[in-house]
Amino acid sequence: MGSTLRLYLTCIRNTLHAAMCLQNFPCQEVERHNKPEVELKSSPELLLNPVVICRNEAEKCLIETSINSLRISLKVKQADELENILTKKFLRFLSMRAEAFQVLRRKPVQGYDISFLITNYHCEEMQKQKLIDFIVQFMEDIDKEISELKMSVNTRGRLVATEFLKQFI
Amino acid sequence: MACIDRASPALKQILLKLYRDSSSLIYSAEKSIEIDHHLYEFGSVEYHIQSQASNPLVAYLSLSIPPLCHGTLPNTLSSYTIEKIKGICPNLVEIEEPAREGFQLTLKLNLDHIPRNKDYVKVIEDISTIQSVILSSQLKEILWNVNSDDAVQGMYKPIKVVYHPREPFFVIRQPQKIIAIFPIRFKENSDVIIATAFFQELVDVGNSDKWIKTPPCSWSAIPPPELRGEAFEDLNTNGGFVSFEISSRHVEGNRLDKTVWNLLNFNANVRYHVKSTKGFIHRRMRKRLENLVQVLHQTNSEENEQTKQVKKHQGCRYTKKLVKSSKHTMKQRWRTLGRKIKRIPFRLKIHGFTRFRQRWLRFPKFSSTKYTKLE
Repeated sequence: MGSTLRLYLTCIRNTLHAAMCLQNFPCQEVERHNKPEVELKSSPELLLNPVVICRNEAEKCLIETSINSLRISLKVKQADELENILTKKFLRFLSMRAEAFQVLRRKPVQGYDISFLITNYHCEEMQKQKLIDFIVQFMEDIDKEISELKMSVNTRGRLVATEFLKQFI
Repeated sequence: MACIDRASPALKQILLKLYRDSSSLIYSAEKSIEIDHHLYEFGSVEYHIQSQASNPLVAYLSLSIPPLCHGTLPNTLSSYTIEKIKGICPNLVEIEEPAREGFQLTLKLNLDHIPRNKDYVKVIEDISTIQSVILSSQLKEILWNVNSDDAVQGMYKPIKVVYHPREPFFVIRQPQKIIAIFPIRFKENSDVIIATAFFQELVDVGNSDKWIKTPPCSWSAIPPPELRGEAFEDLNTNGGFVSFEISSRHVEGNRLDKTVWNLLNFNANVRYHVKSTKGFIHRRMRKRLENLVQVLHQTNSEENEQTKQVKKHQGCRYTKKLVKSSKHTMKQRWRTLGRKIKRIPFRLKIHGFTRFRQRWLRFPKFSSTKYTKLE
């Protein structure tokens, strides 16, 4: 299990390394405007082919690149209903506070749980390698956090059940 | 949580204040004031506490509580319930007949009979448990007075008990045991999932060897067979059905009150657990967000420090370059100036002046690396 995760993350890291070649490119349609082309998708010549990296049916990563921006969308594994609601709550919580992360998108792409938008300005302010490290580390942390949350909820439930049943004795 | 405690916290607080005020009036000449409080609590309970200025040592407590089971129990309190109420504090509590208008029960509290030592808190707490006493006795009556005509092929008809209007539960009497079944309903889907996880843990813990003395419990998503024939609106749930099997050992002696009170408050306990779990999840998410943001800011600050150091080194090199170049140019300029001065033709020739000029009219060499310390 751990080895498949390593391979998955390594593949994503290498793809991001290759895809994160961004440069400043003003908008071709509107003068004096500078927009992330991956969001607009108005000029096909500025877009690269999107890449989908699947670990399994439930977990995948979509990387869409353009000349001045890069969008990474993640689908996190959800084994049961409890993980489903915990993932939704947690990722929605993070998305609503996207300004704290700078590279996080407020709304995920349809079909995915969370999305990042990296522009050439981010690459100028931050180091490319550190950005890639952050995203890969984020993916690991999300999985770990969801598992810990689930375990905590079940542990709490068990403690409360024990206390409730104690009252009958 | 107020609805789970046996003693009503608001009623307890008001009675304690009444008692302390009446105690202080005995020792001081302050004028007494009238008190009139209306309280509304979980379970559609209404309290009315009244004390008159003319007689501050007597207070009247009126109570209105809907019957647990409509149809099986009358609206008025039964003799068994009244006996139980009289047993709370016999010296202190008297039942007023008839009760005040709009209430089922009015009690006269003689505050001067409350002990002056530390026990007064316990006595007032016992009086505040009056609602739980009434409910417990009503549920006991329901369980004891099941009509044998209701038995069909050995199966008794389920009795619908309503503690909260939207949260009824069913009690089914069987020869060896009593089964309490709770239909669970929640408004939000996330609440249903958290509650379902809790019920699974409850069933796991209840069926373990360590907790064999507790009532066995089970959970099912579909209505159990005991509830066949009940109204559709009662069986329409999204959280499934939780069942407890109460046997004789769970209702012996003091355990009867505990069992009855736990059953009455099971729904309230579940909702409280779901609410506090959501709060816990939120706190944890907020903490995790801080950690993740900290990592990003730490990365940014490391990058900023690195760029600052690079710029600083570049700056040092630049100033060194500037200093070096300025020294060099200065020296060159002095030399050229000296040469020019030497080449200046003098119209007047003075003997020996050339030697004087060569020896004395030289620009001194300045070395910045050496310096002589002035003493």
